[in-house]
Amino acid sequence: MEINIFQAVLLGICACLSSMPGLGGTTFGNYTLGRPLVAGLIVGLILGDVKTGIIIGAAIQVIYIALVTPGGTVSADVRAISYIGIPLAICAVKGMGLDPDTAQAQSMAAALGAAVGTLGTVLFYGTATMNLIWQHIGWKAVENGDFKKLYLVDMGLPWISHFVCSFLPTVLITLAGAGMVDIMKAYLPMDGIAMKTLFTVGSLLPAVGVAILLKQVVKKTVDFITFFFGFTLAASLGLNLIAAAIIGSFFAVINYKIIMLQNKKAAAGGPTDDDDDEEDI
Amino acid sequence: MKKLSKKTLKKSFVTWFYGNLTCFSQEHMQTFGYLCAMLPIVEELYEKEEDKKKAMDTYTAFFNTEPQIGTLVVGMTAGLEEAKANGQPIDGEAINGIRAGLMGPLAGIGDSMIVGTLIPILLGIGLGLSGGGNPLGAIFYIIAWNFLMWFGMKFAYFKGYELGGKAVEILVGEQAQAIRDSIIMIGTIVIGAVAASWINIHTSLVLPGGGELQKTLDGIYPKFLSGGAVVFCWWLMSKKNISPTMVMLLLVVIAFVGVLIGFFDPGLSY
Repeated sequence: MEINIFQAVLLGICACLSSMPGLGGTTFGNYTLGRPLVAGLIVGLILGDVKTGIIIGAAIQVIYIALVTPGGTVSADVRAISYIGIPLAICAVKGMGLDPDTAQAQSMAAALGAAVGTLGTVLFYGTATMNLIWQHIGWKAVENGDFKKLYLVDMGLPWISHFVCSFLPTVLITLAGAGMVDIMKAYLPMDGIAMKTLFTVGSLLPAVGVAILLKQVVKKTVDFITFFFGFTLAASLGLNLIAAAIIGSFFAVINYKIIMLQNKKAAAGGPTDDDDDEEDI
Repeated sequence: MKKLSKKTLKKSFVTWFYGNLTCFSQEHMQTFGYLCAMLPIVEELYEKEEDKKKAMDTYTAFFNTEPQIGTLVVGMTAGLEEAKANGQPIDGEAINGIRAGLMGPLAGIGDSMIVGTLIPILLGIGLGLSGGGNPLGAIFYIIAWNFLMWFGMKFAYFKGYELGGKAVEILVGEQAQAIRDSIIMIGTIVIGAVAASWINIHTSLVLPGGGELQKTLDGIYPKFLSGGAVVFCWWLMSKKNISPTMVMLLLVVIAFVGVLIGFFDPGLSY
């Protein structure tokens, strides 16, 4: 499968908009366009195969379901995962003649996406470092009282950083991508150790994504019961995610009521000097 | 008595909504987004150039938090700046003290509630709707997420502006804590379901006597290996303090060894 220059340019623009300090803004850029699930749809539209795009985007999304960047440190770069990794994965899956809707194709996509995403952190640090130049111009503007220039510094000049660190790498790598698949096919047979390892890694990676999220929510070992409650709903009872979310909400409402009752009891038991009637909502 | 117009407040909000991280660097993360968001406020409140400069100087201090929940702080400072311009006993130093004090706690709440819970719930539902390559899941996420954030952030900005320091109560009061606790519960259950639906770890090992290990394990607890792998990765990261990237590399080694001894075999050929 070929990616032409026009398609590569569109992918490059999406990369500029969607990265962590991206030009689409935090909410619409990073947290919408940058999510692999959404990128799967967009890349699918650009490359003319929405179905494959969505299946692959969804498979990669599971690994990055909780991509938190505390204090601006990243372990993976969304523009690379979404707009370099997904197009390459689509090329690879199609080039190898895999049916996208199989566990194997999704494992392959997951492994490729994660590798590209990890290497892509270079792009994040590159962009952030280049933005120092614009910030320097900004400090000069503040010193001189030339405040209108701040808009240019915050929203205009970073386009240059993104041209260098998002647009060019995306265009170049995706253009070269189709050729890479042929090389893989020629030198790495599917039943060889390297490809078997690649597919296996891909099937293991989503566990890391879920574990990153659990690291935040599981404070005591007991919290695992909540997690495995949801796990059992899907694995043993075969419920889909929306049904699981509704059951989860039901227990959350009960949980909320219990906590509020406890709070009320504590307030009523102690010396009631403060305004606890505000709380019976 | 100076009063900020609705139009100026809206402009300040939109500037922050879009530009909070566009000029990010490791040195000054959201500082420039903040400066831009405060500029319409300062320009409306002060006439003289030197007063404007003095007011803007306050916001040159480092700022970084979870930017979406941090909208509350921007709204608060708009209110405080207005009070300051009206001669109330607030100075730039006090404003910066409030900003610095809220950055950390709000980042903690925002990272765990928005990025760590709300997004995974929405994505989890989106993934559920994406079966067989259906675009509905992605479309659901785009609409639900942007709708919630646009109106949620707008609410936070204007509440911050109206209530000032009291606005923080919305986020840290007893009731807020109970709501947070309950929402995290939904998130944890949904993530459990996501794990069970999307992680497919299979072993091809055949037991002596001809039984398949995969079937035996699934007989004990369905998707035993997938659940076990999550707990193992969590243990490495939380208890052994290994970084996610190192865990991924470790999985490459485990996969390689597993393939060599015949534990894993995707069973494919061209």
